Amino acid sequence: MKGKLNNTILQVSELKTYFFTRLGVVKAVDGVSFGLKKGECLCLVGESGCGKTATALSVLRLIDSPPGRIVGGEIRYHGEDLLQSSGARLRQIRGNRIAMIFQDPQSSLNPVFTVGDQIMEPIRLHLKLGKQQARERALNLMEQVGIPQAKERMRYYPHQFSGGMKQRAMIAAALSCDPEILIADEPTTALDTTIKAQILDIFRNLKQERNMSIIFITHDLGTVAGIADRIIVMYGGRIAEAGSVLDIFDQPKHPYTWGLLNCLPSISERREKMTPIPGVIPSLIDSPEGCIFYPRCQWHMPVCQQKRPEEYVISGEHIAACHLYK
Amino acid sequence: MRRLSGIFGGRRNLLFGGLLLILLFIFLLDLLVVDRIFGPFVYFYLFFALLIIFYGIYPLYMNRRLTRYYWDRTRRHRLAVIGLGFIIFLVAVAILGPLLTQDPTKVDFPNKNLPPTGFSAEQSIYDRNTGQFITTETPGTWLHPLGTDDKGRDMLAMLVSGARISLQVGLMATLIAIFIGLIMGVVSAYLGGWVDNALMRFTDIMMTFPFFLLLVFIIFIFGPSLWFIILVIGLTGWTGTARLVRSEALSLRTRDFIMAAKSLGASDRRIVFRHLIPNVLSSVIVIATLSIPGVILAEAALSFIGLGDPTVTSWGLVLHAGQRSLDTAWWIAVEPGIMLFLTVLAFNFLGDGIRDAFDPRSQL
Repeated sequence: MKGKLNNTILQVSELKTYFFTRLGVVKAVDGVSFGLKKGECLCLVGESGCGKTATALSVLRLIDSPPGRIVGGEIRYHGEDLLQSSGARLRQIRGNRIAMIFQDPQSSLNPVFTVGDQIMEPIRLHLKLGKQQARERALNLMEQVGIPQAKERMRYYPHQFSGGMKQRAMIAAALSCDPEILIADEPTTALDTTIKAQILDIFRNLKQERNMSIIFITHDLGTVAGIADRIIVMYGGRIAEAGSVLDIFDQPKHPYTWGLLNCLPSISERREKMTPIPGVIPSLIDSPEGCIFYPRCQWHMPVCQQKRPEEYVISGEHIAACHLYK
Repeated sequence: MRRLSGIFGGRRNLLFGGLLLILLFIFLLDLLVVDRIFGPFVYFYLFFALLIIFYGIYPLYMNRRLTRYYWDRTRRHRLAVIGLGFIIFLVAVAILGPLLTQDPTKVDFPNKNLPPTGFSAEQSIYDRNTGQFITTETPGTWLHPLGTDDKGRDMLAMLVSGARISLQVGLMATLIAIFIGLIMGVVSAYLGGWVDNALMRFTDIMMTFPFFLLLVFIIFIFGPSLWFIILVIGLTGWTGTARLVRSEALSLRTRDFIMAAKSLGASDRRIVFRHLIPNVLSSVIVIATLSIPGVILAEAALSFIGLGDPTVTSWGLVLHAGQRSLDTAWWIAVEPGIMLFLTVLAFNFLGDGIRDAFDPRSQL
């Protein structure tokens, strides 16, 4: 009940997803908490290997086990803890209430079935519609996501589609049961810039017209700016900084966020070169005691090496996990 | 009903299952009540015909564009087309031939060792009047176009009968082997972990197990029968398929579309039947085609060394009979030899053609 009052439909608290590999335990997600409101677009931003995808997959309990396991935390969807749900209940939610789109459209469609068949699959699975009705619904969806000559293209196989068209088809499949939450895992990374803009338009429309909640995962802050309501910057399996778009872009507080923003090319200012963040992403096996960003941080203090920073509230929803704001 | 259609999925599978049950019912009726009006092979042929119609011809007919594409790619392999033609001819002969030819088991001593039409051969005949052997030149007759063997049995009839046996053994044993291999491979790859380990070690054991020994053992206990030979070849021949299917399924399992299907709410069963199996099927068809000749040769070899079913006229058996009189009547051994050679070659060519047609990487 509490979730409904403040409009939060998905509440993730202290999520911990570890991968038990031969080399040791990889703490891919190590105590991440966030809430998702109705009609909001939440962006997870960070470098490769910072735990964005693992977080998203954990929400749908899609972590491959072995080697992965969700070892702690709660994922409450309308108050129901998904970590306690049965397999059958999860299958009802997946694709129906919470749907997901993957990074590489080239390989996320089954090559042996027609695109139409695959868009119809979740419709027939969840909505129990007849073949004819499912076909019409799929046709509608394909038109909505901007696939021209949808009627004919329903009978096409994935290899006859271009990358952008495949991603549109994947979006259509994900939208087919009118889910409440859409998780998009780097949906534009494999696409070229013009297609990328078109796909982002689709997401913007979804948010505005259907009031859909979107978790958008990307490593590109530039993509985020135009679509996000709130941004979570992740580093090393933890939240580095979280806040509204304005918070992050206008008043970034965490040194890692400063670094990320410095990497962005800018049209207005003329920068001779972009400044990369020095150092490399740390291994998430046996991560150090203190702040995980400490080895790459230019502002580090003695305390950073010893103590893991808490998430300090800057203002309202704006939080930063850095000892600078103690 | 919904549960049932969930497992088998789709109207076509249900119809196929229904027809199969009816077939099984008639078969049991025939076996137990009316005492075998048709042999069990008739039912196998019907089953195989249903399988081909439902899962071969029907989808090809429904998807004519893809059919055209495959046909165009196969056709560029001229040898594969010739092989396919020969196999179709062989199947027609195996089905219709026995109705037209003489009885392959009818012994006719006065007409023994007749050469094929157009040839003549020297034969030593015992002359009762003089009490001596005289050598005469015997010409072939039109009554026995391929000659007769040392007991006067018609070679043509025996070869036609042999074609039926070879195809039965080849198709049935391969079908059994492919079925087991497919299930083993997919289950092993999809479940992973200790199941994978157990199944694969079992496969290793099966691979090293001498199937010949098993066969000799079974023949010793139950007596030689074509059914046992088919069963033993089928039950021991699945290991290669299982390994190949497992490796293909392992690489498929990590592909995004499996994860995408899961994220859209598909169950494990649905993923295995709808996403894994259809994707490995093209390589399974290729292996099936390429393993048929091996099975046919295995049966011929068994018959040749006298471990085959002596009640059926198979090519191996004729070959065995012919080797004793190779110097006087060469055709008895040569004719089944040529048939075996051509059949094996035809299946190999067809298999190569299908592999090239199905493999998107091969640039023709």
